Amino acid sequence: MAKLPKLLIIDDDAHLRESLAEVLELDGFECHQAGAAKEGIAAAAKIEPDAVIMDIQLPDSSGFQICQELRKRSKTTILIMMTGRFLSSEEKKQGFELGADEYITKPFDLAELSARIKQLLSRNSAKG
Amino acid sequence: MASTRNRGKLAYKILFWFLLISLAPMIFVGWHLVGITQQSLRKETLAMQESLAVGFSDTVYKYVTTFRNVLTETAGLEDFVSMNPARQTQYLNRILQIHFAVLELSVLNDKGVESLRVGRFLGPNPDLRDFRSEELYARALGPQGQFIGRLERFQGLYPTVTISVPILDQRVTPARAVGVVVARVSLNGLSTMLAMEFPASGKSQAAVMTRDGFLIAHSDPREIYRPDARMPAEVEKVLTTQDNAKGGGEIAIEGGKRLLGAFALIDKLDWIVYVQQPVEAAYQTAADMKTQIFRVLIWVVLFTVLLSLAVAGHITQPIRILKEAADRLGKGQFEDLPEVVTTNDEIGDLAQTFLGMSESLKEKTGELIHAKQELEKFTKFLEKRVDSRTRELKAAQDELIKKERLAAIGQMASVVGHEIRNPLAVINNSIYFIKTKLGTGGEPDVKITKHIKIIESEIQQANGIINEILTYSRQRELQLERVRINDWLEELLSVYPFPPHIQVDKHFDPGNPAVDLDKTEMQQAVRNLIGNGVEVMPAPKGEGHDPHDDPRGRLGAHRHRRRRLRHPAGRARQDLRAVLHDEGARHGPRPGRRAQSRRPP
Repeated sequence: MAKLPKLLIIDDDAHLRESLAEVLELDGFECHQAGAAKEGIAAAAKIEPDAVIMDIQLPDSSGFQICQELRKRSKTTILIMMTGRFLSSEEKKQGFELGADEYITKPFDLAELSARIKQLLSRNSAKG
Repeated sequence: MASTRNRGKLAYKILFWFLLISLAPMIFVGWHLVGITQQSLRKETLAMQESLAVGFSDTVYKYVTTFRNVLTETAGLEDFVSMNPARQTQYLNRILQIHFAVLELSVLNDKGVESLRVGRFLGPNPDLRDFRSEELYARALGPQGQFIGRLERFQGLYPTVTISVPILDQRVTPARAVGVVVARVSLNGLSTMLAMEFPASGKSQAAVMTRDGFLIAHSDPREIYRPDARMPAEVEKVLTTQDNAKGGGEIAIEGGKRLLGAFALIDKLDWIVYVQQPVEAAYQTAADMKTQIFRVLIWVVLFTVLLSLAVAGHITQPIRILKEAADRLGKGQFEDLPEVVTTNDEIGDLAQTFLGMSESLKEKTGELIHAKQELEKFTKFLEKRVDSRTRELKAAQDELIKKERLAAIGQMASVVGHEIRNPLAVINNSIYFIKTKLGTGGEPDVKITKHIKIIESEIQQANGIINEILTYSRQRELQLERVRINDWLEELLSVYPFPPHIQVDKHFDPGNPAVDLDKTEMQQAVRNLIGNGVEVMPAPKGEGHDPHDDPRGRLGAHRHRRRRLRHPAGRARQDLRAVLHDEGARHGPRPGRRAQSRRPP
């Protein structure tokens, strides 16, 4: 049995976190959840996810700081920033410079998200 | 013109000064000449009158002494000394016959009683009088040897004098007075002489009077032949109080008249000869001089008036023309100015200066008018500029208000959108999960599928509303980046989640032109267009559908050159046109959707 790609979802909204995890699990991902930044970093260190989907606004830190921290730990982990508001070009540029791979805006198309993650994963696999 | 008929103040001033300059010296000199003349006349008249008085006093004395001598000679005759009445009568009658002035003759004996008496107006046997106590008897026999006096008015009118001399017997030594011869002599002859000397036609009068005021003779018969004949009181007072033998001066008498009078004293008779003349008569020459001077003054006045008017006209006429021209200049009438006379004098210089000034004024006024017009134009230009700037400021202010409002809305919308998007995302995830789950269990219930789609549609609609609000409220400057349009479109299309039934045909410009665009904005715009196209091309129902059949989307980038605007460097601006065609359920092709970007020149 093939090993499922591991996803870590970091969001303070439990409903969104759980619904997103359950949907992506249907699409063949192994999903883990964290409700805060520190918890998310700890989880990432533990499970070493292939991809992390994180909210930009978290209660204890910003998504950019988590992104920077996670990128330090892993160069290959796919980091997808999730937001409910418009991001300026500067903000997006900052996120990309800190290591983000993609931005998605709530509510997002789950099929598109799933396809994008798979594409990025396959690219990493091809490079690896 | 009325203005030229009026002579003006200057003419009257000139007239006044001409009159003053010409008349004042004449009046001053004339006044003094008349005064000098009057003084001279007064002095000369008084001297002449005094001389006449002195001369006539001698005449009077001689006139009186003539009768005394007749009496003395008669009294010395031997026949008369004998005191023979008959012989004496003969002698006395003879005297009466010869001398008409003798009115009466008497012989007094040594006792002073009248022994013989004859006269013109006596009867045959007149009364004989006693003169023993009379002065005429005593003085005749006294040291003086004569008596002249006892002035009376015969018949109350005619002045007479009594003369007496002694009858001396020379046959004894010393001679012995045997009687006195007395004569009463009329003095009318003196008045006659005075009248002849000082006729009534003349202004001078003469009189003889005693120190006590008895008027003896007068050149005017009307003054002497009166019972109360006397000189005027003022004259009498002056004459009776004189101590000098002669003299003269001015005497004011009743009625305001003034006289020039001179007198001479007949010392031996103690009579006064007086000559007078009215001041007016004495000063007649001076009066004539006054009249002559007055006539000359009148002529001078007439001449001066005419001369001054002529001079004033000569001087003021050009000045008045200048004034009229100046008035017109003052009203801005530079044309049709009166002809200014230019003469070779100061007025001509003034006229020349005025002409120069009027030309300069005309020129300056023209410049002022031109400057005023320019100023008005500039003012209108400035007003337009101010209006334009005001409109711009108003627009900028409105824009600022709008931006501020949009910023506030954007801030609020950002918060609200974020807060709403979370539950929308949850709902979206959940419905996706449900849909997926239902799909794995076979054909889902039609109504459940319908409602799932309704929920998805409502989620998209709500999200669209939030996007619109956020887009509307988001105010950001375009951040242009230069990109290769083909590369950019390829990347965008590669990540766009096209449904499986959509085929994308790409027709790119082979030159892969570079364009300046805001990647974020343009990406959103293109994605919206694609989304709209996809939306109108739903997936066909049923099996066996070939996704390569119509409908299909077609996207291309074409350069399009426009020459409406020119770049400051002179190069034409080029626009790049991206055209998206979709072929939806409608018949025929839908109009192309276009995204346009500026291409660098």
